[in-house]
Amino acid sequence: MDNLVVNNIRQRPVRALVSVTGVALGVALVMLFTGLSRGMSNDMQRRSSNLRAEIIFTRSGGMELTSSTANLSTKYADELRKVEGVASVVPVIRYPFQSGRGFGFEMIEGTDWDAYAAMNGVRVVEGRAPQAVDEVIVDETKAAGGKNGVGKSLSIFGGKPYRVVGVYSPESGARVKMSLAAMQDALESPGKCSYILVKCQDGVAAEELARRIGAQLPGNKIQLTRDIVTNIEQSVPYLGVFLRALVVLSAIVSGLVVMLAMYTTITERTREIGVLKALGASRGFIVGLIEQEALLISLLGLVVGFIVSLAAGYLIHRAYGLWFEYGWRWALVAASIGVGGGLLGALYPAMRAASLDAVAALSYE
Amino acid sequence: MKTILQAENLTKVYRVGSVDVHALRGVSLDVEEGEFLAIMGPSGCGKSTLLHLMGGLLTPTEGRISVDGEDMTAASDARRTDIRRRKIGFVFQRFNLFPTLTAEGNLRLAERIHAGGRDNDKEAEGQRREVLKLLKLEDKMHHKPLELSGGEQQRVALARAVINRPAIILADEPTGNLDTENSAIVLNMFQEMNYRFNQTIVMITHNPEAAAMCRRIVQMRDGQIVAPSTGVQL
Repeated sequence: MDNLVVNNIRQRPVRALVSVTGVALGVALVMLFTGLSRGMSNDMQRRSSNLRAEIIFTRSGGMELTSSTANLSTKYADELRKVEGVASVVPVIRYPFQSGRGFGFEMIEGTDWDAYAAMNGVRVVEGRAPQAVDEVIVDETKAAGGKNGVGKSLSIFGGKPYRVVGVYSPESGARVKMSLAAMQDALESPGKCSYILVKCQDGVAAEELARRIGAQLPGNKIQLTRDIVTNIEQSVPYLGVFLRALVVLSAIVSGLVVMLAMYTTITERTREIGVLKALGASRGFIVGLIEQEALLISLLGLVVGFIVSLAAGYLIHRAYGLWFEYGWRWALVAASIGVGGGLLGALYPAMRAASLDAVAALSYE
Repeated sequence: MKTILQAENLTKVYRVGSVDVHALRGVSLDVEEGEFLAIMGPSGCGKSTLLHLMGGLLTPTEGRISVDGEDMTAASDARRTDIRRRKIGFVFQRFNLFPTLTAEGNLRLAERIHAGGRDNDKEAEGQRREVLKLLKLEDKMHHKPLELSGGEQQRVALARAVINRPAIILADEPTGNLDTENSAIVLNMFQEMNYRFNQTIVMITHNPEAAAMCRRIVQMRDGQIVAPSTGVQL
């Protein structure tokens, strides 16, 4: 192809590669972070949506997104059963633990398996329910790949090994569960739980039952299950600010890399720019030529960035179990950053090239 | 006969540090349509400055200069660029071809600039082939500059200069980097352009043999024309 823009890029492959990498880095950063945020949010929503209990009864501070305490007496379960419209109740302790892969936290829940399974339509698909104090059951996602399947061991509570005795489906709440008694024992919290799942009787509206519970057992926190996890971006303080800051930083990285590359390019091509001026090329033509080169580099960076983020997302998921889900909105933002950052970064070198003194440029060695 | 280039009392002073360097001291020169003019003189006499003023690459400190009826003296940089695009073709000593483009690509770029950035049409393609044929470069059109000899590169540079039919060609030592044989070939091409198409050419040269091929020779010294019109019968 006899095209000045394409040929210039082909003539300097290393610099083009560095520029493309810079743009790709910015794009991949945005895609990976937003993909992770969205993936984890959707994963939590999926698991919460499989809970069939309509109401979660807890105390203030008893259960947050990434932490929980066992500060609720299980005696409330008996009180809740007495409320008109309640079909069943299941006390649960939720506790965060490090997953053992050195990356992030996971949740484990302690509950009476039979009651929990009956309430939420969960069934054991392999092995059996946990019975002994050192036994756990995991969901199919956790068991996938065989690393955490039946017969394997998980380190929980300061590295203490727990044997996986069963696998359940569908995914519901925390991916690892043990018996309520075993967890109370491990946490030294006899008679305590983090929250109590409440199932409504047929024909009873959850909102109405929640009001009734609130009236009969005041001073507690009563939440509808569907409101628990709406969006991780709203649940985690400043995550939105962090993502926006990341977007700006990515744009700056892309812009700076392209600016540096184009700045070096025009220094090298000073004489050629002088020739262009001698041929009668306008400032707009010269700016356009350099911007076209930046655009091509940015588009290549964009493609590489998308491919890298897809591949990295897949590999990180395989290695650490983190979920990545990419959305069009953030993909468009990443694309705008890659292209916009590249074009803006090239603007200063382009303007400088267009303003070069033609005679000085022609005599440049 | 129509005057293509008119320079009146041109003065150019460069500021170097705190010193004023007078490159031109009141140069007046008319170039008629169809002339092949040589400007000679020792290094530093102001030849290149004069050529750059003629091409609108510089503005005079004093004096007036016009090309094909268009005054460049008080014109803005954009206006001078536009005049250069439409009226002037440059040939340089060091060829100054774009190394990443083929011979044809270099010509297409010049056409594109001449057309204000638009792509070349079919008519331009025919014209391009005609020029390449005239300069005996048909079989070299897909070669890049580094694959061509110096003489061939300079012929491509000449083709680039004439492709858009400029009113005047300004050549800055076009044979300065060529051996005797290639110099003769290139000068013959200049002469052919001048004869066959009545192309106006102003050429700076140190080479008396090259100057001898021109219809008129202007001698410069210390920023002034000292022998304004040495006629040479060809």
